[in-house]
Amino acid sequence: MPDFFTLLGPLVVVLLAATVRRRLTERWSYAIAILVSLVMMTSLVLSYHGLVHQQWRAIFLAVTNLIATTSAWDSVFWLKEHPAIVPHRYYLWWALFWAALLGISLAQNLALAWLSVEFSTLASGALIIEIGDRHALEAAWKYILIASVGLILGLIGIIFIYASLKSQGLGWATLNFANLHAQSAHIAPIIRELATIFIVSGFGTKAGLVPFHTWLPDAHSEAPSPVSGLLSGVLLGLSLFTIVRFIDAVPSPAAILLSGDHLLTIFGTVSVVVGSLALLVQTDIKRLLAYSSIEQVGLIAVALGIGTKAALSIALLQFALHAVIKSSLFYGSGHLSVLYHTKSLAKITGLMSRRPTAGVLWALGILALAGLPPLGLAYSEWLIFLQLWHHHSYVVIVLVSLSLTLAFGALTYHLIRNLWDDIDASSKNPQADAQEAL
Amino acid sequence: MNDLGFLIFVAAIGLLWSRTMRYTVWFLAAEGLILSLMVWTSSPLTWLTFLVGLATLAIKTGLIPGLIHRLMRTLPAEFRQDYPLPLWAYAIAVLVILAVGHVIHLLAPTGIIEHVLLFFYALSTIHVGLVMIVARRHLLAQIASLVAIENGLVVLAVSLAGALPTFVELGMLVDLGIAITLMVWMSHLFHHEYQTTDVVALQRLRG
Repeated sequence: MPDFFTLLGPLVVVLLAATVRRRLTERWSYAIAILVSLVMMTSLVLSYHGLVHQQWRAIFLAVTNLIATTSAWDSVFWLKEHPAIVPHRYYLWWALFWAALLGISLAQNLALAWLSVEFSTLASGALIIEIGDRHALEAAWKYILIASVGLILGLIGIIFIYASLKSQGLGWATLNFANLHAQSAHIAPIIRELATIFIVSGFGTKAGLVPFHTWLPDAHSEAPSPVSGLLSGVLLGLSLFTIVRFIDAVPSPAAILLSGDHLLTIFGTVSVVVGSLALLVQTDIKRLLAYSSIEQVGLIAVALGIGTKAALSIALLQFALHAVIKSSLFYGSGHLSVLYHTKSLAKITGLMSRRPTAGVLWALGILALAGLPPLGLAYSEWLIFLQLWHHHSYVVIVLVSLSLTLAFGALTYHLIRNLWDDIDASSKNPQADAQEAL
Repeated sequence: MNDLGFLIFVAAIGLLWSRTMRYTVWFLAAEGLILSLMVWTSSPLTWLTFLVGLATLAIKTGLIPGLIHRLMRTLPAEFRQDYPLPLWAYAIAVLVILAVGHVIHLLAPTGIIEHVLLFFYALSTIHVGLVMIVARRHLLAQIASLVAIENGLVVLAVSLAGALPTFVELGMLVDLGIAITLMVWMSHLFHHEYQTTDVVALQRLRG
């Protein structure tokens, strides 16, 4: 019942966008935001029991609907700032994207999860195209092409698994996670191993794990900000958890090097390192946040790679906290870009003198993302380290802690430049300063 | 069944070899037609398999080649051809096709492969598609590569499991139809913005 009710939300928005069309004005945007909020609150009430018992689906559903609500409200203001965007087309694709995210959250079947992830690529890709400039076009092309090829790899893995269990004659239900879990022993070890590699690579492409991440900074930075929030906060995490649901249902033989858990740890650690290093050299406010997402998703993958129940709960906490913080920052970055007429970090300065309230909120968000105690991510990151310590994963601890220190430094460096006026400009170019003063 | 698989593989080689977008459209339409025949003949004909075959025909023989052809006709003549394929692409294509033999050797003991020859054609088609996507520079050729890979996947499913569940097959078709529609639309915008159809122009953003 809650599933059916939740899916009604996107359906109503799609119907509204398709019927109201050109008459979809600001008033309708508010109506859509209120509708999404009502769906979110009702689904929270209906899935309260699941949330209390830390059921995955309930948590995914809550996070998806919460971020969809904030995205819908931010869309109202974002559309006002971007009058060239056609609202009814925007809401049509936005609602389909929301539906795809709900599809991933609710999927009890591996093939349905795959179809939803694939569809999320198309809906969010279309939203990037809506921006209409060259950068957006390039980002959307790379996104759709790379993600589609990645997901094709994932589908090869799914076909291998389906073929191994075809004698069951269950058809569609063969790929239910519960059935896979019950029948995994009947799948030959080499098929399990191959399928795991394909599925981790395929869904890992959508999760933004390095080295499959190349589409991510472009797509997240060029997408409309309310969509970047959904992409970064929700889609990356849901793709990652789909991998875990598969690994949980069809475990690889523990002794092999490329088991699901090992792959998650390897790709996760590399993602944390690469994401953190990339933060240092970013010049675009949204690309900064996009690379931070790579780092954060890597951290969630490291936690999931530990493979214990406690680590899983911590990964869920990290996912939820990251979703809230990162989506808020993406919304904020969109408005700052409009305020300053640029996405260049070098030009977004002096927030504390121009917009003190925005400056304080931005600082809080960036510091939370950097993992400053007592803000949320500091707690979950500490718990991840504790789990790694119990598991004697010392090399991972060293690599990840060094990277997070670097990420903290990079984020606070950019934050300081955002908050105060040209703190390093006068020493570099006194002539330009004098000219500007005149 | 093996004959149909062979024809799909030949069409994929044709796609790799062809520089002219008009031929690309014909090869894609041929692949779509052969796949529909494969869907109708790979298992006993029911209403569902008939429907899947019909949808395959509509999307892979009608919609996708039609959209590409329509866009191609709007492009000036000099943009209807791709650059010559580099020699390394042919070499890699041969190598990856030969590698399929090793994969069959690896998987044969598990008994997962129902039709070995068909499996060979399927995996070779997927590999050729992947080589194309890396080596071809024309926007429409990249779209054709994606369709070729997806066609290879359908053959792979037939060679391993007879067929995929109907819901998955229909879902894949709808996804592919939307993806190609979006990509053809993007190609149109891309040509309008950049005055080229060469993907090398996509260098403003760097990973």
